[in-house]
Amino acid sequence: MSKPRHLVNILTGTKGAAEMKDAGPLVKTIKKAARPLLVIGPRALEIEIDGKPFIEYLVDIAKASDIPICATAHTKKKLLELGVTPDSTYDIIEIINHLKDPEWKGVKGEGCHDLVMFGGFRTDLGNQGLSTLKHFAPHLKTMTVCKYYYPNATFSLPNYRKDEEWKALLEGIIEELK
Amino acid sequence: MKGKKKKEEKEKIIKAEDEWEPIGHTPMPDVADLRNWDRRLLQTYKPFYAPFCDLCCLCTYGKCDLTGTNRGACGIDMASQQGRIVTLACCMGMSAHAGHAAHIIDYLVEKYGEDHPLTLGDQVEVECPNIRTVLGMKPKTLGDLKKAVQYAAEQLLHVLSSTNTGQEGDAVDYESKALHISMLDLVCMEAADVAQIVGFKFPTSVADTAIVDMGWGSVDRSKPVILVVGHNPATSSEIIDYLRKEGLEDKVEVGGICCTALETTRYSDKAKIIGPLSRQLFFVRTGIADVIVSDEQCIRTDLAEEASKVGSVVIASSDKACRGLEEASDRPTDEVVKEMAEQGKHVLILDHAKAAEVAVKAALQIAPKRKKEELIDKAKAQELAQACKDCGSCELVCPNLQPLSSAIKKVAEGDFEDFQKIFESCIGCGKCEEACPQAVPIFQLMQAVASWDTWKCRAGRGPIMDTEIRKVGAPIVLGTIPGVVAFVGCSNFPNEIDEIAEMVEEFARRKYIVVVSGCSAMAIGMRKDEEGRTLYDKYPSEFDAGGIVNVGSCVANAHITGAAMKIANIFAKLPLRANYEVIADYILNRVGACGVAWGAYSQKAASIATGCNRLGIPVVLGPHSSKYRRLYLSRKEEDDWTVMDGRKKELVDTEEPSPEHLAIVVESKERAMVTIAKLCLRKNDTPPGRQIKLNHYIDLYKKFFGTLPDDLHHYVRTERDIPMFFKKEVRQYLQEKGWKPKPALTLPTLIGTYETEVPVEATIR
Repeated sequence: MSKPRHLVNILTGTKGAAEMKDAGPLVKTIKKAARPLLVIGPRALEIEIDGKPFIEYLVDIAKASDIPICATAHTKKKLLELGVTPDSTYDIIEIINHLKDPEWKGVKGEGCHDLVMFGGFRTDLGNQGLSTLKHFAPHLKTMTVCKYYYPNATFSLPNYRKDEEWKALLEGIIEELK
Repeated sequence: MKGKKKKEEKEKIIKAEDEWEPIGHTPMPDVADLRNWDRRLLQTYKPFYAPFCDLCCLCTYGKCDLTGTNRGACGIDMASQQGRIVTLACCMGMSAHAGHAAHIIDYLVEKYGEDHPLTLGDQVEVECPNIRTVLGMKPKTLGDLKKAVQYAAEQLLHVLSSTNTGQEGDAVDYESKALHISMLDLVCMEAADVAQIVGFKFPTSVADTAIVDMGWGSVDRSKPVILVVGHNPATSSEIIDYLRKEGLEDKVEVGGICCTALETTRYSDKAKIIGPLSRQLFFVRTGIADVIVSDEQCIRTDLAEEASKVGSVVIASSDKACRGLEEASDRPTDEVVKEMAEQGKHVLILDHAKAAEVAVKAALQIAPKRKKEELIDKAKAQELAQACKDCGSCELVCPNLQPLSSAIKKVAEGDFEDFQKIFESCIGCGKCEEACPQAVPIFQLMQAVASWDTWKCRAGRGPIMDTEIRKVGAPIVLGTIPGVVAFVGCSNFPNEIDEIAEMVEEFARRKYIVVVSGCSAMAIGMRKDEEGRTLYDKYPSEFDAGGIVNVGSCVANAHITGAAMKIANIFAKLPLRANYEVIADYILNRVGACGVAWGAYSQKAASIATGCNRLGIPVVLGPHSSKYRRLYLSRKEEDDWTVMDGRKKELVDTEEPSPEHLAIVVESKERAMVTIAKLCLRKNDTPPGRQIKLNHYIDLYKKFFGTLPDDLHHYVRTERDIPMFFKKEVRQYLQEKGWKPKPALTLPTLIGTYETEVPVEATIR
């Protein structure tokens, strides 16, 4: 089983994320989902990949497959500047609290989501939130698209030492989703 | 336990015959006496769990895999296991304060006797509101405080026993126990701080306490230096006494880290605050301290090892933290001092007066012959950083996720900017250095980027005065003072240390009442404006709109909950005595108070926050606090917000999620500020008060998120609630949302919405 980049997130348990190195299977999972959701965190505002803010990659993923967005922390303002109106605004813990409930109406009022993608969070907070969903939301799958491995996700990218590899994967996802 | 003899025992302890107030329904409550209140609270604010691991490893049945629908071999499920761990954490935290209280009371009873009176000055007549409300006792002496702590300790036995394998098995019942023991944590904290105030003559009945020097740069290194670390002022006050007696107060520097620093500056304005807990390892590594005196709680467990590296010596002075050191309590002072000065020996001395004398004498002998390394400058730091191979090991282990490796490489190139930022975000654990295969002395490198400026901190002032409560009680309850925001606790901050000062200033500037304590009280003093003023210089010290009030150390947090109780008592005339449900209900529905623990790290912080929650005070936590595993959250759209209208005795669906959560983690300071403003909303707000509160909520939301709040319609009850400044756009927003006026309410209360012996009439005076 992979280790997370930050050892505070090391898995003490039995159920770790499947490490996904290729865009194909990730895209297949996204396309298969009936009601996917993309949750965007504030680190997406700070991180740049080859001069382009991570949040813009996330927006591209959402646009490529018409995935609704939940803006957490203070990301809403930047999304609006990018011309994107998020479908909902919660903080990460609040949206996770909703996602636990299989009867929740979802951010579009169409029913609870079955695949939730996360990008742009502190890895420790993100991994704790994913733990909640791992243990208490068997009705959904989670996927992280950050640079590091999240043990508590269902599907996670590996730890990337180099941004080029991460960028290639994100661009692969965007391209294949279109 | 129920029973006639138990009842008589309680009546004796609380002196039931004293008729200062009628005795409420829960004198000296047992574990399940407030269970229905807890269950009602948790019906709205459901426990949210984020397990740290998949397993239970607590007994020999295990390890047990609790993932999915699995249960442990004992039958426990994952949610209950989380409640159990949280209960354990709260017991640990509470016991730390209870132990502190028990020790300091015994120490002061030895000095002054059990009958020493509790006099808190001419401005504090309602002393010990936590003890009054929980126990039903009006403590008058140190001996009474001891009884309160003994009662709490007995409750601790029961709650702790429930965590043994095969005892409690329900998550909500575990939470009720965590809430119970955390309520008693506040009792113990209050007992500890009131004992300290009367025993050490700390400031009381005064707002304008001394402004003291703060920062490692404030220490005069030409003098012998004693560093005191921890929370318990018994030894540090003896050090001050000894220095005064020997005429050495101006010849020896005494500086503190963590709460002992705050306590010592309440005792002597010549003492210095070195800084919060996050600066402990940094300062120890400078070698500036000749002698380090540790007491209890929040001390590095490797303090002696770290001190040895730089030629400092340690005196451990608490039986709670002996650290494997040889006890020298009964050995001749001069012999001990000689061994410390000549051999660098660390010792355990449990006699506080003796520890003080040894500390001073050892410091005087060690200081002149210090052979400590000079502080590292930028040239030396650059040289040392050359050893870095950019392997990234330091980054992997950093609990604050800092990008250390690239920053250290830049130091090697003479660029210190990134490393400076890392120092500002460093929580001070030292794991980076431990992990470095090249043995780069990362904590010494920090000496080159740390500011050696002198900052300021206001000495802690203890209880909020009754006169202040009389002045602000009505505006707080009516909402025209938009809220009381308490920034409390430790320095495990997620980002730069001065984020907390930024948040404090935002709310002080907006005329909230801002209260600070513990390491947060220090951190906000570490930021200066262009004119060199700290927040303590810029804002008044009164418990009033726009004031910044430092109540003191961790145990002084009880004065914050005490202030909320005193609003119910002094302003609303509700009796406190054994009247916990009524008072908590009042605070939940009518006192716009919100706690903020941005850098909480210890089990003590978990119990403090949980104690606030039982009292109806919501708490906003920084991202590290997700590791506490449990929050209390509502879901505003889905949950039932029905309360009783106390005057009409009718159930009313208010449709208003206020306060929205009881314990929530947020990720960024921007989100925190918006959340704090929202969590100050209360159902009892008058329309002018609600206008003011919504004005701040909208303004902050727009500032950080760029639009009107997308849940604003939940908080506008009638058109009269709409802030004038935003009237046009809010009206348009409400129209788009299909908003309709909400039911009117005269006196919101949860009493009457669940099974309780308390009648609805008890909420009205």
